[in-house]
Order: sequence, then C-alpha cells, then structure tokens
Amino acid sequence: MASRTASKDVITLKGSAAIVSEFFEESFVKVKKYGLPMLLTQNEEVKSYIASITSQLSEWLDAGKLQRIVLVIMSKATSEVLERWNFSIETDAEVVEKGVIREKSDKEIMREIQAIMRQIASSITYLPCFDEQCVFDVLAYTDTDVAVPFTWIESDAKLIKNPQMVKLHSFDTKANSQGGYNGFLQG
Amino acid sequence: MILRTPQQRKRRVESVSEHESPVSDRRLVPYVEPSDEMVCTYHCRQMVFRRCKPLWLITLCNEGELSIKVKSEFFAALNTAEKQILDFKSRLDTLNNDLCNSEEERQKYRDHFYSVEQELQASKGREHALKEQLLKEITDYQERYHTQLKRCSELEVQLKKEVEVRRNAELLAETAEEKAATVEKELLLVAEKNEREKNRLHLSFLHLQDESKLSLSRVNAELERMRIRADSFEQEAELLKKSLVDLKEQLNECLHEKSQLECKLSSCDSPLVKAGPSEYPTLVKHLKDELRKAEAELLEARQLKSFRMNKELLIEQLLEEKGHRQKAEMELNQLQEIQVHAHMLESELASWKSLLNQIPDVSCHDDIPRKFALLQKETIESMLKVGETNARLKELQVTLEMANLNKEHAEKECKLEKEKAECASLEVKKLELMLSSVSEECEKLKKDVVSLTKRKSGLSSSCQTTEAVSKDLETLLEQKEHSIRGLESNLCQQREIINRQHAEIKLLNESLSVETKKVKSLERENDRLRSEISLLESKLGHGDYSAANTKVLRMVNSLGIDNEAKCTIEILRAELQKAKAKLQAIEELSGQSDAGNVISVGIPEKLSQLKEQIAILEKREERYKAVFAEKISVFRRACCSLFGYKIVMDDQQRPNGIPVTRFTLQSIYAQNDDEKLEFDYESGNATILVNDYTSQREIDQQVDIFVRKMNSIPAFTANLTVESFNKRTLT
Repeated sequence: MASRTASKDVITLKGSAAIVSEFFEESFVKVKKYGLPMLLTQNEEVKSYIASITSQLSEWLDAGKLQRIVLVIMSKATSEVLERWNFSIETDAEVVEKGVIREKSDKEIMREIQAIMRQIASSITYLPCFDEQCVFDVLAYTDTDVAVPFTWIESDAKLIKNPQMVKLHSFDTKANSQGGYNGFLQG
Repeated sequence: MILRTPQQRKRRVESVSEHESPVSDRRLVPYVEPSDEMVCTYHCRQMVFRRCKPLWLITLCNEGELSIKVKSEFFAALNTAEKQILDFKSRLDTLNNDLCNSEEERQKYRDHFYSVEQELQASKGREHALKEQLLKEITDYQERYHTQLKRCSELEVQLKKEVEVRRNAELLAETAEEKAATVEKELLLVAEKNEREKNRLHLSFLHLQDESKLSLSRVNAELERMRIRADSFEQEAELLKKSLVDLKEQLNECLHEKSQLECKLSSCDSPLVKAGPSEYPTLVKHLKDELRKAEAELLEARQLKSFRMNKELLIEQLLEEKGHRQKAEMELNQLQEIQVHAHMLESELASWKSLLNQIPDVSCHDDIPRKFALLQKETIESMLKVGETNARLKELQVTLEMANLNKEHAEKECKLEKEKAECASLEVKKLELMLSSVSEECEKLKKDVVSLTKRKSGLSSSCQTTEAVSKDLETLLEQKEHSIRGLESNLCQQREIINRQHAEIKLLNESLSVETKKVKSLERENDRLRSEISLLESKLGHGDYSAANTKVLRMVNSLGIDNEAKCTIEILRAELQKAKAKLQAIEELSGQSDAGNVISVGIPEKLSQLKEQIAILEKREERYKAVFAEKISVFRRACCSLFGYKIVMDDQQRPNGIPVTRFTLQSIYAQNDDEKLEFDYESGNATILVNDYTSQREIDQQVDIFVRKMNSIPAFTANLTVESFNKRTLT
C-alpha cells in the first residue's frame, strides 16, 4: 500500500499502522503461551469475567462433571447466534474416582494444544466477517447432578440452524481429552 | 554253430564196405552200442539221425543180399537225406535271409525302440517334473485353501457378530419405534397443553396490551393535566412577576420612605424633644403603622419570592413531566418491539410445537430435556458402537482386500494351472498315442517273432539263434509292456489328481463367490454406518445433548449485562439524586408555605397528603424494623443459647464482584475475643475461612478432620464447643 500525502479522509500506511498498534496496545498485551505468541486482553472487566468462569470450570473439571464448553458469538442487536465454538471434554473416570495417575509428557500435551491454537488462528481465513457489533457468552455442559452456583443459571443451548461445521484437532492429557467443533452461520 | 560230421558217417560206411562184415561167418556178435563217434551229431529237434543207428549191425543175414539191401536202402535214405539236406539248406538260406531281414528289422526296431525309450524317458522326466510341479502347486493350493478356509471361518465369525449387532440394533430400533409410538401419543397431549398455554399467554398478552393502553392513556391525561397546570402556573408566574415588580417598586418606595422617615426621625429628634410628650404616641402609632405596612410589604415580597421559587420548581416539574412523557413514548416504542418479540416468540413456540410433534417419547415440556438426555445417551452409545463397527469394518475391509487379492491371484493361478493341466493332458494324450503306437509295433514284432519261431521249428541248427533273439525280444517286449502299464497307471493317477484339482477349484470358486457376496453386504453396511456416523457427528458438532445427563449453564452477569446493569444503576442513582433534590425543594417549599400564605391550593394539599403517607409508611417501617430487630435478637439469643455460638452475619463482596454472605461465630465458652470462626456462605455451601484462631495447631487439626475429610461443619463446631466447655469448667 503506497503512502499518500496526509489529508483528512485518506489514511497513510504509517497512520494505519499507528491506529492498529494503538488499538492492540490499549486493548491487548502480547504474551507467549504454549510456545506461541498470543494477544491477551487488558480489559479488567473481561479479565475478571473470564477468571470467574475459568475458576468454576476448573472446579467442575476436577470433579469430572464437565462435558463440554461452548463459546457463543451473538449479534448484539438481534441476539442471533453467529458462531459457536464447541469444545467437548472426555474425562477418564478412573482418574476422578480412584485417583489413578496417567503419565503423559508436558511436551506432547503442549504440542497438541499448539496445533489447536494454530488451527483456531488460521480459521480466520474461512470464517465469515461480522459487520455488526457482537457479544460473546460461555456455556458449560455439565452433569445433571451438579449444584448450580449462585452466579450461574440454566440456559438453552443457543444452537445455530443449519450451520456449516468445521472439525478441529483434539488434545489429550490422559485424564481429560478435548475435541473441538466450530459451527458458524452462513447464508 | 552247426556241427556237422558227415564225413565220419561216410567213413563208417566205407569201413563197413571195405571190411567184411564181422558177421559174415554168421557168428553172433555181441551187440555193442554205437559209440558217439558213429552217431549223427545233428542237434536237431526231431533227432532223426540220432536214431539212425546202423541196424545192419544187429541183424544176421546173408552177407551178400542183406548187405545189398542194406546198401540200397542206405543209398535211398542217403538220397532222401541229401535231398532233405538240400531242402534244409535252401530253407536255411531262406531262413538266413529272413534272419538277416529280421535282424535288420530288429535293429530298426531297436533303434526305433531306443528312440521311443528316449522319448519315454524324456516324457517320464517331463511327467516327473510335471508331477513335482503339480505336487508343489497342490501343496500351495492346499495351503492357500487352508488359509482361505481360516479366513472364511474368521469372516464367518465376524459376520455372525455383525449379524448379532445388527439384530440388537434392530431390536433397539423396534423398541425405539414402540417408544416413538407412545411418545407421539404423549406429544398430542403436549400439543394440547401448549395450545392452552398459548391461549393463556395470548389472553395475558391482550390484558397487558389493554393495561399498557390504559397506562398510556393515563400518562397522556396526566401529561395534558401537567401541561394545563404548567400553562396556568406560567400565567400565575407572569402575574406574580408583575406583582413582584409592583411590590419591589413599593418596597423601594417603602425603603425610600423609611430612609426619609429615619432622616426625619433623626432630624426630628430635637423637635420631638421640644414638641413634648403629647406627640409621642401619635408618632409611635404612625411609625408602628408604617412598620406594619413595611412588614406587610416585606411579607408580600417574601411571598412573591417564594412564588417565584415555586414557579421555577413547577417549571422543573414540567420539564420532568416532559421527560416522563418522552420516556412513555419510548416505552411505547419498546412495547411495539415487545409485541414484535412476542410474535417472534409465538412463531418460535409454533416451531417448538412442531419439533415436539416430531420428537417421540415427549408428553410435555419437562419431558423434552429427558428425551434429549435419552437421545444423547443413545447417540453416545451408538457413537461407541459406530466406533467399534468402524474399527471392525476397517479390519474387514483390509481382510476383504487381502481376500480379493488372494482371489485374483488364485484365479490367475487356477487359469495357469488349467492351462498347464490342459497341456499336460495333451502331452499325456500324445504319450498315450505314442504308447499305443509302440504297443502296436510291439505286437507286430511279437507276431513276427512268433511267425519266425514257427518258421524256425523245421530248422535244427539255424533256428537256435533266432530263438534266442526272439526270446530276447520277448523279454524286452515284456519289460516294455510292464513299463507301459506303469505309465498308464501313472496317467490314470494324474487324471484323478487333475479331476480332484478341478473339483477343488470349483469349490474355491464357489467359496470366492460367497465371500464376494459377503464383502458386498459388508460394504453396504459400512456405507450405512458411515452415514450414521456422519449424522451423529453432525448432531454432536451442532451441539445437541440429552437433558437426562446434561444441563447447560451460563453465568448470570455476562459482560454486556454487567455493563447494562451499571448503566442502569448510574441512571437510577442520577434519578435518585434528582428526586432527593426535588424532595428537599418541596420540603423547603412546604416550610416556606407554612410561614406565609399559599397561592395555589392543589399542590400543597397533595404535598400534605403525600407527607402523611410518607409519615405513615415511615412509622410502619420503623415498627417493622423494631419488630424484626426484636425477633432477630430473640432468634440470635436462642441460637446462641442452644448451639453455644454468637452469630454475626455480614454481606460482603468478592474482588470479582460476586456478593457473598459472611458468618462470624464466637463461642460463649471462648476465653478471648480473638477466638472467632469465619464462614463464607454461597448458594447453599459454607466454606470455612482461615484466620489466626483456625490456624492454631489444635483447631487446624479439627478443621482438617471434621471439615475437609468428613465434610461436616456442625460436627466441628460441636466438638469445638465441647472442648472449650471442658477447658472452661476445668479452669
């Protein structure tokens, strides 16, 4: 993109880069996780929201009650579900009930997580772009005998009608294995 | 070798002729057997001349006549013998010629025989090689046959298993169909219930619409009233302004007069003294009148000021009412949106009803999660089965491919073997033909030999050699016949082997066709299972679940809701502050109106009514608070006396914004104020907090045993109470 002389309605490469970097500097911080560079949000509200969710999810995972985690992206105006990231979880019952130890190297687990992260990052190439404002929500599929915490409520599954589905890789820690399915609305 | 001693015979005759007979003198001569020298030595079969003993040696006769007779007979016999000899010679010549011819023929036949033998040996070698090859192939075929039989048995076992699985799946499908039939019936009931609920919702919606319309009409009426009031207040305000201006002028005049009076008073001090005491009361009265007037004017001015304030307040109220009106209009718009949303919900309800009609085993809305749970279970089970069948199918596919490859290979080899067998049969036929021809030639030779031997029966010496040759030929022929019989037996065995192989090949072909049929059926099942797998995977990926095993949870306060809540909280706080400011203003207004005259009657009356209501409500609230405080104090004292702990309840907030209730327990047997237990109570679960008291070794042990291991807080508190009681009583 050739740079142009600065004028009101024309953006230069330098200006565009500045805007983009300013956005990321303000809203995200670059970290290295699972051997990959990632952008983590700096918004305190989002951080606290995610922290509260992950604490409850880890509790359910330890108890072996968590079956699936679904990230839903909806239109803010119409509440229509546009994307659905479905992560199914299989827990080894022996590990939960008897405390049996399964051995698997961290390297291998990290490698599998890396593959999933790469696939998620590369999915931007075929996922549709959203021109409207969107919101995200996290759904947890648990066993029916789980006590619903004070800050959680039962919800519908927020399914997409006639979705296009893409299957992601899975990773396995021998105690829990996680597979992914991404469904998105098209058409 | 033919031995001939004819000269000896002649000598004998001559000797006899030359010498007179020993019996001429008619004496008896003792018989002496003729010696071998005198006997004919022809070794012929008929031994004719062996018996030709000289009879003349025995008989006694006249010397002359007998001898002449004997001689004549002898000569005749000699002639005949010579003739015979000539005949025999001629025959011998012919026989020799025949022998030569036969020898030539024999040699020919021998050569031919050798060549035939060579060919036979070559054919034997070929047959041997063919036999070995056939044996190898037979062993290979047998091995392959055994392996294929094994594979067939394994495949049969797998097929049986698959058939059983299929039967189980069919049974499950039948049960599912039965369940579907029962569910359809229940769904009809659900549909009826849904229709009733829909009607009820529709009625409630209509009711809400009517209420909203009524509220709108009320709001509009109030707005109009407020407008009218505002207009009246504006008019009053203008009038008051005018009066205020007049009063200001009057006040200025009064002030001016007051200043003049004061000046006059100051200047009139001396004349007053001069005037005397009689004028004081009049002056005082006059001053008092003026003061009263001024006070009245002041009061009027204050009233005007208050009215002005009221007017400003009313203007503010008018603006607020306008704002309320705008809000009401917004709410009307929202109501329309809500109506649209209600229509959407109705359409969703209809779609859900149609879904309910389609879903079997569902009688009401509560059954839907249960049905989803069952379906999820079934899908999981079917997924597991599908996975297993996939694995089996893959194995079967691999075995089928191997079997197909082996089949093709076997077919090729069968073709090759068939061709080889045909070639071998052709060769065998050729050999048979050759053997038949050889046997025919041998028979011919036999016949020739027999004829030769017959011919040789007349000859004595020359035929012995031919007899030996014929004997040799016969022995050779016997040997060849024996070998030919052996070859024929081998041929028969090979034919039997080939026939057996053909039968085996037929059986293999039949088994191969059966296996191909099985393979096709397995491929069909594979396709069906794959389609089921894809359907189930799509369902899983879609997010379907079974409500009997799974429930979907989400956080109550998502980010958007938090933000919206915060916005609404801020808005409400701003409105509260405004309301408080209005209340203060109204109180000031009411305070000011109490001191002076009030212009309008309606507002203060309402204000007084509202104040009374507020006072009543406040009194009620105070009463409730007092009663609650009493009751709660009684409850706390009772809890303390019954369980031995003073309980203090606080509402606190965690760093992430989640509210939590904190209970602080202090035992009545505690020896100091630091001995406190703290618990956080959230959604039915109480968790003990760590502090200085609980981190003590004794208390920590009890917490570890009763709370963490046995998960019983009452046991922990009871144990602690007993221990502290014991400590107190002992001390």
